[in-house]
Amino acid sequence: MNIFMYELKLYRKSVTIWSISIIALLSMFMTFYSNFAVDTAMMDLLLENYPKELLKALGMNSGLSLSSIAGYLAFLFTFVQICLAIQSSFYGFQVLSVEERELTADFLMTKPASRRRIFISKFMAAFAGLLTTTICTGIGIFGSILLFRDGHPFEPDKIFVLLSSIVFFQLFFLSVGMLISVMIKKIRSVLSFSMALAFGLYILSALQKIIGGKILGIITPFNHFEAGYILKQGKYDTVQAAISIGIIIVSLIMSYILYLRRNIHSL
Amino acid sequence: MNIIKRELRAHMKSLFIWCGCIIAIVMVMMSEFSAYYNNPEMGKILDTMPKALMDAFSMSGANLTTVSGFVSMTSVYFYITLAIYAVLLGSSIISKEERDKTVEFFLTLPISRQKIIIGKWISAVINCIIINAVTGLTLYATTAKYEPGIEFNKFLLLMLLAMFIIQMIFLSIGMFLAAVTKRYRKSGTYSVSILLAAYFLSVLIGMSKKIDFLKYITPFKYFEANYIFQEGSLEGVFLLISLGIIAATTAGIFIFYPKRDLHI
Repeated sequence: MNIFMYELKLYRKSVTIWSISIIALLSMFMTFYSNFAVDTAMMDLLLENYPKELLKALGMNSGLSLSSIAGYLAFLFTFVQICLAIQSSFYGFQVLSVEERELTADFLMTKPASRRRIFISKFMAAFAGLLTTTICTGIGIFGSILLFRDGHPFEPDKIFVLLSSIVFFQLFFLSVGMLISVMIKKIRSVLSFSMALAFGLYILSALQKIIGGKILGIITPFNHFEAGYILKQGKYDTVQAAISIGIIIVSLIMSYILYLRRNIHSL
Repeated sequence: MNIIKRELRAHMKSLFIWCGCIIAIVMVMMSEFSAYYNNPEMGKILDTMPKALMDAFSMSGANLTTVSGFVSMTSVYFYITLAIYAVLLGSSIISKEERDKTVEFFLTLPISRQKIIIGKWISAVINCIIINAVTGLTLYATTAKYEPGIEFNKFLLLMLLAMFIIQMIFLSIGMFLAAVTKRYRKSGTYSVSILLAAYFLSVLIGMSKKIDFLKYITPFKYFEANYIFQEGSLEGVFLLISLGIIAATTAGIFIFYPKRDLHI
């Protein structure tokens, strides 16, 4: 419990900054909603006459109109996802490797706490930090919709499903980050790793939306929990979500095993 | 000279990894392109689209069925990737000495800080040039079988130049922040936030005409591939702005780094 509380305290500032910036991002995008809705209402009429393949190439295959709240949210949710992905993978790479980098590993390992306990408390603390961010994101989404919706209707239950997908999305990056950090001998720069993982997967999914490609569609979590699909159907894409959850479980178990056996360098 | 060599060697591994990833992305991308290439159906669909709609998606002039259209549609993702590389390289090349606790050793060597920072700057620029050249060569090699012609080569060269300017902007911002900030850990966070803000802003600008004037503050809007393709040149105003940013921040690096209070 001590380790958990200590770790939690370390996350306090970073969680606050991330939550505030995500809320700021959401409200910034939502302020443009009302004038965008007018512009796009006409465009929707035009788009109805165009074939599916083309709309897919434009990343508009979910069938949601950009002038509706759901469609607009699906569009801007990608950017929230980028922020969440960077935050989660940063915590993932940081949480198990920080002691060795800051030369505090000796101190921690001589404490009468098993590695199992250390692993679990560190993971739980990072997860608690991420969960707080999720809650703030939810508040931001609902708050900015209510403020800027301009009388357009929206469906809260589908948005709740979307919010619940954030948890898996964060866990994906957290667990993959943890796995990579215990597989590599030493992580020098956490930021480079997390940017590469988060932005790399984002770029893959963005490219996949333009150019298509089956394999590309499977590997990136930005596609596993696609906001457009969730907001339209009100549920996850079962296969894609299963892939994501599978990867989360495997990498959590692997990183647990590897961390227990890890050769931790002392001073 | 020693410093340049040392820095190049220290960053070689990460450079290789980044280059490998870029090559992989380009190859996957171009293999998907074969489905689009000269696909008359796709071309017909695009022809019937009204111009206003194409503008809204910044697709005017970008025809997915031609090599140059395809490359310019996807160009923004190369801009971002290389910008991330540059900004991370810039901030880490200075802050890593403090992070790895080698800075005390480093600064006791009989060289002035002025020389150190020049060496670091040169090696960072060399790294940027290498990754830029690798991107260009892979694009050139993967598109060669479609025989895109001399016009495309010119477009590609200009796009690489634009990419290099964007890299230099972010490299000097990263190095500048690392030289100025008191805590070495903060510089990376700050420079990444600037990059993210610039990217999100560029997306926002694409959505609404009302905030078009904001394009002057986000480098991702300076050299849009569409414009390069249609006009065959880079826009002069933005060229000036970017040179200004690069000059100011680079001067800042050389002024502030020698005065930097080290965090040990």
